[in-house]
Amino acid sequence: MVSFSGSTAVAGIGATEFSKQSGRSELQLAAEAVFAALNDAGLAPSDVDGLVTYTQDANQEISVAREVGIGDLSFFSRVHYGGGAACGTVLHAAMAVATGVAETVVCYRAFNERSGRRFGQPNPGIGGEPTSHGLDLSWHLPYGLMTPAAWVAMFARRYMHVYGATSEDFGRVAVAMRRHAATNPAAWFHGRPITLEEHQASKWIAEPLHLLDCCQESDGAVALVVTSAERARDLRRSPALIVAAAQGAGAGQMTMTSYYRDDMTGLPEMGVVGGRLWRQSGLGPADMQAAILYDHFTPFVLTQLEELGFCGRGEARDYVADGGIEIDGHLPVNPHGGQLGEAYIHGMNGIAEAVRQIRGTSANQLASVRNVLVTAGTGVPTSGLVLSAD
Amino acid sequence: MRTLTDDEVRVGAVLPELAIELTPTVVVSTALATMDFTSVHHDVEGARAQGSKDIFLNILTTMGLVERYVTDWAGPEAIIRGINVKLGVPAYAGDRLAFSGAVLACEDGEFTVEVRGTVSLGDHASGTVRFALP
Amino acid sequence: MTAPAEPTGLHERLTALAERQIAAGEVLGAAAADPVNAPMIRHWTDALGDANPIYTDPEAAAAGVHGQIVAPPAMIQVWTMPGVRRDRRQAGTPVDAVLAMLDGNGYTGVVATNCEQTYHRYLRLGESPVPATRFTGLAGPKRTALGEGYFVTWNVTWYVAGEAVAEMLFRVLKFRPRERAREPRGNGAPPAREDTPATGENGAGGNGSAARRDAPATDEDVSAADGDTPARRPYPLRPAVNADTAFFWEGAAQGELRIQKCADCGELRHPPGPVCPSCRSAARTYLTASGEGEVYSYVVHHNPPVPGLGTPFVVAVVELPEGVRIVGNVVDCAPSRVGIGMPVRLTYRQMDDELILPMWAPREA
Repeated sequence: MVSFSGSTAVAGIGATEFSKQSGRSELQLAAEAVFAALNDAGLAPSDVDGLVTYTQDANQEISVAREVGIGDLSFFSRVHYGGGAACGTVLHAAMAVATGVAETVVCYRAFNERSGRRFGQPNPGIGGEPTSHGLDLSWHLPYGLMTPAAWVAMFARRYMHVYGATSEDFGRVAVAMRRHAATNPAAWFHGRPITLEEHQASKWIAEPLHLLDCCQESDGAVALVVTSAERARDLRRSPALIVAAAQGAGAGQMTMTSYYRDDMTGLPEMGVVGGRLWRQSGLGPADMQAAILYDHFTPFVLTQLEELGFCGRGEARDYVADGGIEIDGHLPVNPHGGQLGEAYIHGMNGIAEAVRQIRGTSANQLASVRNVLVTAGTGVPTSGLVLSAD
Repeated sequence: MRTLTDDEVRVGAVLPELAIELTPTVVVSTALATMDFTSVHHDVEGARAQGSKDIFLNILTTMGLVERYVTDWAGPEAIIRGINVKLGVPAYAGDRLAFSGAVLACEDGEFTVEVRGTVSLGDHASGTVRFALP
Repeated sequence: MTAPAEPTGLHERLTALAERQIAAGEVLGAAAADPVNAPMIRHWTDALGDANPIYTDPEAAAAGVHGQIVAPPAMIQVWTMPGVRRDRRQAGTPVDAVLAMLDGNGYTGVVATNCEQTYHRYLRLGESPVPATRFTGLAGPKRTALGEGYFVTWNVTWYVAGEAVAEMLFRVLKFRPRERAREPRGNGAPPAREDTPATGENGAGGNGSAARRDAPATDEDVSAADGDTPARRPYPLRPAVNADTAFFWEGAAQGELRIQKCADCGELRHPPGPVCPSCRSAARTYLTASGEGEVYSYVVHHNPPVPGLGTPFVVAVVELPEGVRIVGNVVDCAPSRVGIGMPVRLTYRQMDDELILPMWAPREA
């Protein structure tokens, strides 16, 4: 059987600036990020024969190809479930490369998520259609349960009840991310760390979530170049090998509202992803020098640490205590500041940070990084990666 | 049972809740005690034939229970002067009628209590009761 | 209020009749069949659970402010009820003709909306009140959630030897039952059932025992219908409905919380779906939930504002004793009082003319 593990790599990364108002179209942002990634890899648009993005991106693959000047495409794919698909783009690209469907695939995400369509705002229209998704939403939306923060808060409240976690425990995640962002010049919150007291004093969004439990809304774009490891070794940068990539959905899965499964304190879909990543890579949590955990909302960072095996069920509050996930802790999480601190580009900026850590070029570079775990959006069907140094 | 004095009734004071389990016996016996022989208050089949899901409390009883709710709290000597009720959803047999209330106003020795009687479907009766104390 | 262009001129005929009935003034009915008496009072206090001794205990009553046994004031209407064989009570009232004209023109639904009683004094044993009924108002046609209708108002005064001892205002909505919006039209589908046929008892002797519609939240319906404008703004947060979920929303509209049940293996499932996950059967039925539940998790939504709702509001995952969970708002309760494990009880809210949502209110232990 053909495997992409170790035989494919991320060869280039690129991004626009992260802002609250880009002042240009989402298609332009996409084109700029793709140019930057290709330039980083030392490739030309004509080298690209595949494009992958994920749902909720406003830019068609063929539109990006036209703007960038990519010619023929032999592979294009759009991965489902929004932010949960971030690492899935790399999985799809790696599969295409490993099977010879394409040689060089660019994955991209571009949006004016703050100045344009704001995903954090209620949208009464989201449940309007009798699609299976619209019907799922219809059990929640009429009651005003219609924002990502509130959807996550429902899980968080149950988690607190079962494991005795507190809002302060969630706050420690936010404090860590803002600490990292404070020393990352690309981060929106560069130079602006927060204290736990500030977290506690921030306004309620959806109890038990405070404002500072919720990631920002950003304008910006990120692109990645995926090609074979063999080819990547001849390019401008040292490759970040894709040693594992996986998608996962759990039994009884819904989009953000899986409240009807036996338990509401876990993220079974992330357990599916974690199990596959560890098996495929032959590595385990102890082999990771850093983790990029999707942090649109703080509580799910705790849940992910448990689902991925970094600690036991209900123990994440101890794991994140005393700076445990800060850059000098036992598992540095999101050294770039995550989506809480750097920008909310639906997880693509986190994949870029993993690549930088492996290359040794991060603003908050850790010592001797070999393997980095990356996860994608939580509460939805999700995905993950293990990237390793060559 | 002791009757409250003017000094003991403060605007904003909350009345203790009163919950009444609406057994079929309650619905039927109160309908008969109020001389209301309409079938929807004692005959399940008759009630269903008219589109109701079960027999339900009649309005004369609702008025009586609203009165009882206030005198249970204010005391036997309280003089009830008036009851204004807006009628809502039916109070079916098998449901529970829960009263809540609060003192709304006091003017010229007359108190006004806001009363709300709710059942599982929503508000069954809501309005005000005026009374004086001796 | 101007009338719609009715080819029959019904509104004009109704208005003319109402004016005549108002002009007729007060019409005396028959005196109470039995004077105020201890057995009927005792029967009433027993059935209603009223332990006030001034109604039944001669000693306590004598020592109190009335100096003797008095009747519960809310019994005022009881004394002049017509009894089982109402035809023996010949007295008509000015209300009857108006209700009859409405009935005869399709306004067959009736729902009582207001009952206001004023007690000038308490009645004593042996007194025989006499009711006198005045027709006092016809308002409409108005659009209401139940259908187009007229509000009919009358007043009753009870006299004892010429002294007015109590008064009552009574109001009903007589409505033309609406066809259900979702039912196919133009193919012979029957109109929705007549919610509650007029019982014909409303006018007699000032008896106000108008039956009520078998649907929730008429209270809100009617208050919203009081204006001249269309009854309600549409609630913006509408569920999508298809063949697999319609039974649930139809149940909600009828005051039932329906849980999908596999017709073959009996497994319950919420949210519902077309194929039983246990036995693959597509044969479905439902059971009606008991209406009890317990908060399994909840959020208090503060920001950002949500269209159609005021903040903060509570949304909970409620676990039902039937074994499924369902999401709904917790109402009639301060958000700070809500907690995991809190017992709740099913209630409903009418969100607009079309949508009724099942919700949850605290259930005292």
